[in-house]
Amino acid sequence: MNTIGDNEATAVTAAASAPESVSVTEVTDPERIQDTKWTAGEAWERHGSKLVTVINLTIFFCIWELFARSGAINVLFLPSASGMFSALYDGLTTTSPPGAVISGSIRDHLFYSLSNLSIGLAIACVIGIPAGLLMGGNKYVETILSPYVWALASLPRIALVPLFILFLGFTVKMQVTIIVLSAVFPIIINAWAGVKTTEQSLLSAARVFGASRYELYLKVVLPYTLPFIISGIQQGIGRGLIGVIIAEIFGGSKGLGFLIRRAADTFDSALMYAVLFLLVVVSLTLIQLTRSLEAYVAPWRRVDKV
Amino acid sequence: MSRLETGRRTAAPEPSAAPASDEAVPVIVSTNLTVGYKLHRERKRLTALRDISLTVNAGEFVVLVGPSGCGKTTFINAIAGIVEPWEGSIEVNGRPVTGPGPDRAMVFQDYALMPWRTVESNIRMPFELQDLGISKEEMDERVRRYIDLVDLTGFEKSFPYELSGGMKQRVGIARALVSEPDILLADEPFAAIDAMTREAMQGELERFVAKTGQTVVFITHSIDEAITLGDRIAVISYRPGRIKEIVDVDLPRPRFDHDVKSLPEYSELRDHIWRLVKDEALQSAYGDTR
Repeated sequence: MNTIGDNEATAVTAAASAPESVSVTEVTDPERIQDTKWTAGEAWERHGSKLVTVINLTIFFCIWELFARSGAINVLFLPSASGMFSALYDGLTTTSPPGAVISGSIRDHLFYSLSNLSIGLAIACVIGIPAGLLMGGNKYVETILSPYVWALASLPRIALVPLFILFLGFTVKMQVTIIVLSAVFPIIINAWAGVKTTEQSLLSAARVFGASRYELYLKVVLPYTLPFIISGIQQGIGRGLIGVIIAEIFGGSKGLGFLIRRAADTFDSALMYAVLFLLVVVSLTLIQLTRSLEAYVAPWRRVDKV
Repeated sequence: MSRLETGRRTAAPEPSAAPASDEAVPVIVSTNLTVGYKLHRERKRLTALRDISLTVNAGEFVVLVGPSGCGKTTFINAIAGIVEPWEGSIEVNGRPVTGPGPDRAMVFQDYALMPWRTVESNIRMPFELQDLGISKEEMDERVRRYIDLVDLTGFEKSFPYELSGGMKQRVGIARALVSEPDILLADEPFAAIDAMTREAMQGELERFVAKTGQTVVFITHSIDEAITLGDRIAVISYRPGRIKEIVDVDLPRPRFDHDVKSLPEYSELRDHIWRLVKDEALQSAYGDTR
């Protein structure tokens, strides 16, 4: 910050008194920015939290392991941490024999769930983004669609699962429908809000510089709304993941939700915890990905948040 | 100096002699202009400005001074063509204003820079939105020239959030100047900038328009800023806004270099304008709402 401020002041005076081109880089004192080393305290401040997290999680799993081994709780309910990790490792490394009706490999179920999730999210984006943009941009579309959007958005989606099983059976279609319904509303609502909250001064500026209505949308509203859409997708991923698991728990013979149900049915607590752990990892990874995407397309928002 | 020469407008034959009092060419003519806006929720119509008659000549720097909420911004928006007159008329270069045009550009109080665009891309924006009939090379050349003019060379690829307030506004000024409009409208451009940078920016703006010979309509709350910059100062009254008095400022230019603040005429002018504004300011601060 200092660098910019000082440069500016120098540049201003230089320009006012001697209008010969004085480039900003020339007036910078080379001694002004110097290399320096972190003290132990500064290093701790910067990287301490990572260290704490690693130690924290290690202690957590150690306590879990000791607690499970002490036998205070039946292994049917709480497996040991090592048991969970080995079930996870086995599940991810084994390959199902060809022709098996139900795969024993967690990998297959993970891919199944993730591919359904991606198809569902893609459909949700294709429907949700234009719908949200139109609702934000057009009063009539907004008035007509908003009661349905709010009604469906506020309805707990799980309540719809029996209905869709009735309609579509235990099929991929049913699962994808549930995912789309779970993910589409956060996307619609965020896109809609983005359009609605576009800064008035940016719109005025574009108008003064000659923007047509079409250009206002294309060059102001749309870029302004983009980070909103991404955070809509981020919420959509969270909701969509719930949709995936719910749909699979209800029926079918594939997917992580199915694995959880089967693990519970067969009292395989290690497998169940392994799937839950995997879900946490998948969900965190996806959310982190969208965060990075948001930071990449809208770096100015990241600065605003700090 | 040479890098600025090319920026000169044809409108003013001798840019350094800004107030062309003998051969005045009217550029903005506002006749009995009444404008306002609707308060939808209360089903009321609010008159922001009433009966504004003001003529701004080519190359003239006119400053509008008045308390908050007196409709200065509405007036400038009417000139820009984004607010429609209710009564009366407003003409620019002899034609009634029907919408925004490349002959006018504006500098905004909150900069209004597109946060997703770099400095260079923001300054280029007017070229994307209107057809000025100039070649791609000319556009590139102008963008470079105006970045240089506002001393932002080296920051072309920076985003607005990486810049200080003063630098952001210099981007705003470059964006307004790049299409080389006849008229530069400025809505409290330095209000959000710290006092020291502000003084420097006033000096810079004076320098820019001396080079380009543009006609400027400038809004400010600061009497000092008004006297430092204006050829004429229109004092606007509080709700509804009317022109209370137009004060001529006859101080030597460039005022930034002449240190006009130490002149006795300066403090006389300052007193005079303050007496005009005082009641209005008090009304704005304590008085009726609307």
